Amino acid sequence: MYFFEDPQFGNRMITLMAAFVLVLQIAMVGQRWLVTNIRVFAAQSFLLAGIANTIAFFNHAPHLYVAAFLTCVLKGIVLPVLLERLVKRIDIGQEIAPIVNVPLSLLISGGLTTVGYVVAESFHHPEGAASPASLGRNTLAVAVSLFLIGFFMMISRRKAIMQVLALLSLENGLFLAAISLTYGMPLIVELGIFFDLLVAVMVLGILVYRIQETFDSMDVTKLSKLRG
Amino acid sequence: MLLLAILAIPLAAGALSFTARNRRGMEMINVGGFVALLLLAAVLATQVLRAGAVSMWDGFLAADSLSALVVLLTAFVALACSVYAVGYFREDERNHVFESDVLKPAAISSVRKYYSLTPLFVFAMLLVALANNLGVMWVAIEATTLASVFLISFYGRATSIEAAWKYTMIGGVGLSMALFGTILTYYSAHHVLETETLAGLNWSVLVVHASQFDKTTMKLAFILILLGYGTKAGIAPMHTWKPDAYSEAPVPVAAMLAAAVLNCALYGLIRFYVLTNRCLGPQFASQLLIIFGLLSVGVAVPFVLVQKSFRRLLAYSSIDHGGIMILGLGFGGALGALGMLLHLTFHSITKPLLFFCAGNVEQHQKTDLFRRAKGGVIHAMPVSGPIFLMATLAVTGTPPFSMFQSEFTILRAGFGGSYIGPAILLIVLLVAIFIGFLVHIARLVLGADPGLPPGDSCPWKKYSLICLAGLVLILGFWLPAPLFGLIQDAARVVGAQP
Repeated sequence: MYFFEDPQFGNRMITLMAAFVLVLQIAMVGQRWLVTNIRVFAAQSFLLAGIANTIAFFNHAPHLYVAAFLTCVLKGIVLPVLLERLVKRIDIGQEIAPIVNVPLSLLISGGLTTVGYVVAESFHHPEGAASPASLGRNTLAVAVSLFLIGFFMMISRRKAIMQVLALLSLENGLFLAAISLTYGMPLIVELGIFFDLLVAVMVLGILVYRIQETFDSMDVTKLSKLRG
Repeated sequence: MLLLAILAIPLAAGALSFTARNRRGMEMINVGGFVALLLLAAVLATQVLRAGAVSMWDGFLAADSLSALVVLLTAFVALACSVYAVGYFREDERNHVFESDVLKPAAISSVRKYYSLTPLFVFAMLLVALANNLGVMWVAIEATTLASVFLISFYGRATSIEAAWKYTMIGGVGLSMALFGTILTYYSAHHVLETETLAGLNWSVLVVHASQFDKTTMKLAFILILLGYGTKAGIAPMHTWKPDAYSEAPVPVAAMLAAAVLNCALYGLIRFYVLTNRCLGPQFASQLLIIFGLLSVGVAVPFVLVQKSFRRLLAYSSIDHGGIMILGLGFGGALGALGMLLHLTFHSITKPLLFFCAGNVEQHQKTDLFRRAKGGVIHAMPVSGPIFLMATLAVTGTPPFSMFQSEFTILRAGFGGSYIGPAILLIVLLVAIFIGFLVHIARLVLGADPGLPPGDSCPWKKYSLICLAGLVLILGFWLPAPLFGLIQDAARVVGAQP
């Protein structure tokens, strides 16, 4: 048996990559530049694909290879390229100017990660050692943290593109939760989700463009005419 | 085959409208398509009533009586809206709404956008009801959001782009919670079913084994689903997108959002509600549903009382009715489920009428603000005026109209299920909403003649209004036996105890 066929090794690799995913998410919170943020998101997606591949290899779940491939192509390449082109086209000021300042944001993200670990703990059944949750106890915690931090980014960022990016990273958290809990959703569902995601980014891209055109700004806090 | 035909018709209508040359062609394709759809939906309903659930492709698509009811209502609302839309957009064109700005696209491409996106929108809603797989259902609900974004930003005003943005973002966040809930449901079923195939998420499979699911996970899953699909249904406190979207979208789109999308979101919630009940017993879900239901009805009250615009008033009415339906589900039992589905049915038929009346008045007076609109609508618009008043009475649950019956049934379920406090609170809130609504609309419709030029000249708008009003009136006195049978059967699906 080669060392890379040892399940222990696989487990460690998954934990390592999950940790990097979390680090990238927090980097996204701390980042001030829009284009860098898009690239961080791309890197995160590649790592996710790596995790999916590892889980597919060790648990003989061939349909996960397809999901991993799609994650790579769609979230790692297509969506970041689309978003970067959008940023170039509307030629906006690159700084993010968050509503909550960066040090406080990082602190809150740290707190949310703790919450993620507490939530994930409740899914841990020591007696069911063969259950997928034992494989990715840390992974689930990271997934929940990504989800919560994604939420936080949505409400604490002004720029429309940043909110789109937050929504995408939130979805990354869900993908991670799905693969660490159940080796991923059935393939057709996964394909449907990818399709929705692609359409959603295109639709949001057009809307962002229209917002920029109409309001001469991407600051969504200016969208406040409709009340009551 | 029938299920496939039901899904194929709107897709084909959308594609044909996209390639059609002129407006007339698109109008005919839409109206014709939806007439055919309504007929097929009726065939499906009778078939389900007679021979039980229909399914195809190994249970990938399936229709029991609950799905058949939602399909029937969706098809009905789509047809009513498409007939009204013909008149509505012709009037828009006469008013030169599309040419007021150089940046805005010309009339034909705007109209094409409406006529080709609406069938797609309807297709997504039908898929919600017909998909057996809960994951596919989620994909379809997300697709309803995506298909309708550009229908909401239709007029391209700054405010309509704002509304579309809020709609997409709030909807996206909400649905991501629902997806998490779906994943957790899959996980809690995973141990029991030992399967990784598609069937592991099929509702018809899950419901059989639901009592063995992991209980902690299922609790968390239901909370997430309630928040997620509740956002889509516009349940408070996730309702904030609703008034914006309803007041900015063209009237036929707003009517479809209020009457059909609401059903789809609640349909998704019901499917998980049944699973949760089987797994955890009725108590857990009931409490949550009653809290959120009362909150929605309660939130609507102050906004109805001090409302400035009649389009937004309708949105708060829709939040209120969503809350009432959630309450019916929460009160539970056979009666609660029956009341909820009756309310769902009556609401889908009555609500478009109210929207069409509001649309007629808005197009005639060129404003939707009470402040700017001149009173005495009834003098210039002898058809829309009285029907507006009638629809208001119907929607606020005044007897003899049918929504009184369904609200009464829900209240009876509340008293019978020993939820006396919430039921009394519901009565008080409903009375407050009734007063607010009636004061606003009566002031708009009645009053001295302001001397406006006569309205109600477009036959499409006029007759769609009259037919729908006739239907609402008839339903107050007579509910056809097959339809009632379908609703009863669907209520058994919702309220069934293991």
